[in-house]
Amino acid sequence: MSVKKFLWTALLLTVVTSLVLSACGAPATEPAAEPTEAPAPPPTSPPPEVPPAEAKVLKMIFTQEPAALNPYYSNMWFELILHQIWNCWPWPSDDKNEAYPNLVTELPSTENGGISEDGLTITMNLRDDIVWSDGTPITSADFDFTYKMVMDPKNGVSSQNPYDKLTGLETPDERTVVMKFAEPFAPWKALFWRGMLPKHILEPVFEAEGTLDTAEWNLAPSVGCGPYVFAEWESGGFQRYVKNENYWLGAPKIDEIFIQFVPDDASQTAALIAGDADIGTFPPLTDVPALQDTGMNIMIQASGYNEGWFFNFRPEASPGMSDVRVRRAIAMGIDRDAINRDLLLGLTKAPATFWDAMPSYVPPGIKPWPYDPEAAKALLEEAGWTDKNGDGIREDAKGNKLTLVHGTTIRGIRQDVQAVAQQQLLEIGIDLQLMSQESDLFFGSYSDGAAVALGEVDIMEWSDAPYFPDPDTDYWLCDQLPTPDNPYGYNYFGCDEKLDKLSREQRTLMKAEERQAVVQEIVQYMYDNINWLGIYEDPDYWVVSSRLTGVKFSGVTPFYNIAEWDFTQ
Amino acid sequence: MIRYVIRRLLQAIPLLFIISLLLFILMRNIGDPVATLGGRRMMRPEDRERLTRQLGLDKPLFVQYLYWLVGNDWTKVDLDGDGVAETQGPRLGVLRGEFGYSLMARGKLVTDLIWERLPNTLLLMVSAEVVIVLFSVAVGVYSALHQYSKIDNVVTAISFIGYSMPIFFLALASMYIFAILFKRWGLPYLPTVGMFDPEAGKTPLQVLQHMILPVFSISAISIAGYSRFVRATMLEAMDEDYVRTARAKGLPNRMVVFVHALKNASLPLVTIIGLDIPLLLGGAIVTERIFAWPGMGRLFLDHVSRADTPVVMGILMLISAAVIIFQILTDLVYAWLDPRIRYT
Repeated sequence: MSVKKFLWTALLLTVVTSLVLSACGAPATEPAAEPTEAPAPPPTSPPPEVPPAEAKVLKMIFTQEPAALNPYYSNMWFELILHQIWNCWPWPSDDKNEAYPNLVTELPSTENGGISEDGLTITMNLRDDIVWSDGTPITSADFDFTYKMVMDPKNGVSSQNPYDKLTGLETPDERTVVMKFAEPFAPWKALFWRGMLPKHILEPVFEAEGTLDTAEWNLAPSVGCGPYVFAEWESGGFQRYVKNENYWLGAPKIDEIFIQFVPDDASQTAALIAGDADIGTFPPLTDVPALQDTGMNIMIQASGYNEGWFFNFRPEASPGMSDVRVRRAIAMGIDRDAINRDLLLGLTKAPATFWDAMPSYVPPGIKPWPYDPEAAKALLEEAGWTDKNGDGIREDAKGNKLTLVHGTTIRGIRQDVQAVAQQQLLEIGIDLQLMSQESDLFFGSYSDGAAVALGEVDIMEWSDAPYFPDPDTDYWLCDQLPTPDNPYGYNYFGCDEKLDKLSREQRTLMKAEERQAVVQEIVQYMYDNINWLGIYEDPDYWVVSSRLTGVKFSGVTPFYNIAEWDFTQ
Repeated sequence: MIRYVIRRLLQAIPLLFIISLLLFILMRNIGDPVATLGGRRMMRPEDRERLTRQLGLDKPLFVQYLYWLVGNDWTKVDLDGDGVAETQGPRLGVLRGEFGYSLMARGKLVTDLIWERLPNTLLLMVSAEVVIVLFSVAVGVYSALHQYSKIDNVVTAISFIGYSMPIFFLALASMYIFAILFKRWGLPYLPTVGMFDPEAGKTPLQVLQHMILPVFSISAISIAGYSRFVRATMLEAMDEDYVRTARAKGLPNRMVVFVHALKNASLPLVTIIGLDIPLLLGGAIVTERIFAWPGMGRLFLDHVSRADTPVVMGILMLISAAVIIFQILTDLVYAWLDPRIRYT
């Protein structure tokens, strides 16, 4: 073959191949045909390839694509929120962020005997009408299987928390699950059973492969227990869910959910304005007026998250950080109302505490530290920081400059806050050096030399929450300090013995009033010592088409009532 | 010629090894993939330590590279952290055709991930490249033949504007105009994002409709640049003696321009296109992101930002191999275009 013919052939083949590949391509992931040992489950209808013309299709936009669907293989928010669509929790939360029974007959408590007097045993009684989407009953065996799979070292689950706190799990009958603890664990309701694994589907897989890591069900769950079942997932493109005809609470009103992955915020806004989607997530706040002008509703739901500054009082921190007067001066030297007004269009406000989304745990009377630069300067003078040489930056008696390092990730709004804070703190004589990195570098380990782990960043900014809706958090525990022996420790802030003691104590108090009192003490202590400073609230923002009805969101399980959503005529 | 091709292919093998080693070292030093697996919340130290061990990320770098290259099914690994390697390794390695599993999309083979996205990318990028070549040759030749005419001046001005425009601006502006404003004005409008409308289904017409704006965005800026290039090389070729001779022989103008002048003027263009084609596999990161086109560009961006080494290595090795192959093909095209060039 001559060179000329060879090249023409090659070119033709390239073009034809690409067209054929795109037409045929790799098929979107569809529910896996996992082997099952279930005794003759009722046959399920295969999901339709194309919805019938009259089917009601809800179109959602996610700005991030889930990595996996197995509830225990990833903790991404965009995966967690899908659970209420196709999986199930024993007790989801409603729009008031209060848990209600779903798989259980009632929430365990000391009053109903579900929690033993010593707090070491929690008993769950399951409903007798709950079934997987293939009709197989959900029983205590599924809970036992879920627990065992999470704890098995051959499974690379994202977290074994809090299952590693159990000393054992008993299933005396199909409707009863008994959890045993070594010590009382108050946050159990917020942390346990965030998703169920079907034993009849996955146990054969585990026995054959020795692990669930490569199970097809992780990416294409053939059965679920929510109002919808998984139908299709095209990588980078979309996921599709169709109504679960076996849903024990009755089939949902909308036939199909189509979730499109649109990573660009501006594109998401354009698609919502053009009517190409019914639900959007976390729109840029600057786009909110344009969205509202087109008739979209913006629904805001507290989810426990607040953007805040975490203060470093470790020995490695810059001089001054260990002095509470310096931290208070910083708190009063930043105009957070202006930040919320100007950078966030006044749609948020500065939270006073890390627990503002759970007001019952915040002592009455606590308000955000006011913006008072004069008071801030007075505090710095009192603490011995003065500007002797007139360069605008204060020094201590030894001549150390009051230069602090502020670190955060590369998110745009954070860069803006840094710029504003730098300018405002300069006005009270503090030199703020700015640092920003990608998340995987910022939150790297001690052994990786991550600056926050090494204690080299004085003020760290990101959005975080307690284990909402529970007030528990372990960020300030002394044994979480990153060290060469504990390179992944995430107490980047310092060891305060009193804070450590109170944090551990509240976790073991099963009586609500006792726990509330201790948590309030923690909140007050951290407020007085400025261990954390709120910059702006970070609730969930939802963009909802006006043609939808019945839509409510929860901050814990956002789509908790999706079965009741419908379209207006 | 055959010997030349074989020699080049053999030379590529050590080159690919070196590339893979350098890329692997680079990837393993740009971040910790486990750091972001906790989602919105930080991961507990014990979970992080466990996952680091289970994913083999606690091994020395050269061991990780070795496992990536040849697999670890010939050895045992310690999954339960008791210091005893008890479980057979599951990986086959690149040399046996397995690029491993994604660290993000747990349990998904890298080859499956790439195979799902590659057709979408080829569809978009090959279409854009065909549009670019056709339009830039047409515009460039016309401009060269009508130098300093009104149309040439207009084309020149548009080229300079287009070439200096950032692609994200062009993409968003075209989306806003042709999708939102046209719809608002009651005109026929184009879709905003994705490959198809779910209510209509994934049909060829739907895909074609959804391709228009991304192909336009990718090709507009390149046409602006390439047409200037073609114009310059054509002007140079049209001044050559052999073109004057061809005209003097009485050959038709079409033959003079397209057979004699364009063929010689296109040699540098072939070089550029030859360099471009393998990069088509990498997709168009910005365009794919804006139009939510599920291609390789987005795959790369999503996974490199989370230090997902197996996926990023798979993509980069694919592109590296493609660059080498298309370099060889470019050399062959040179030989076809210019009979004076011969390889031994």
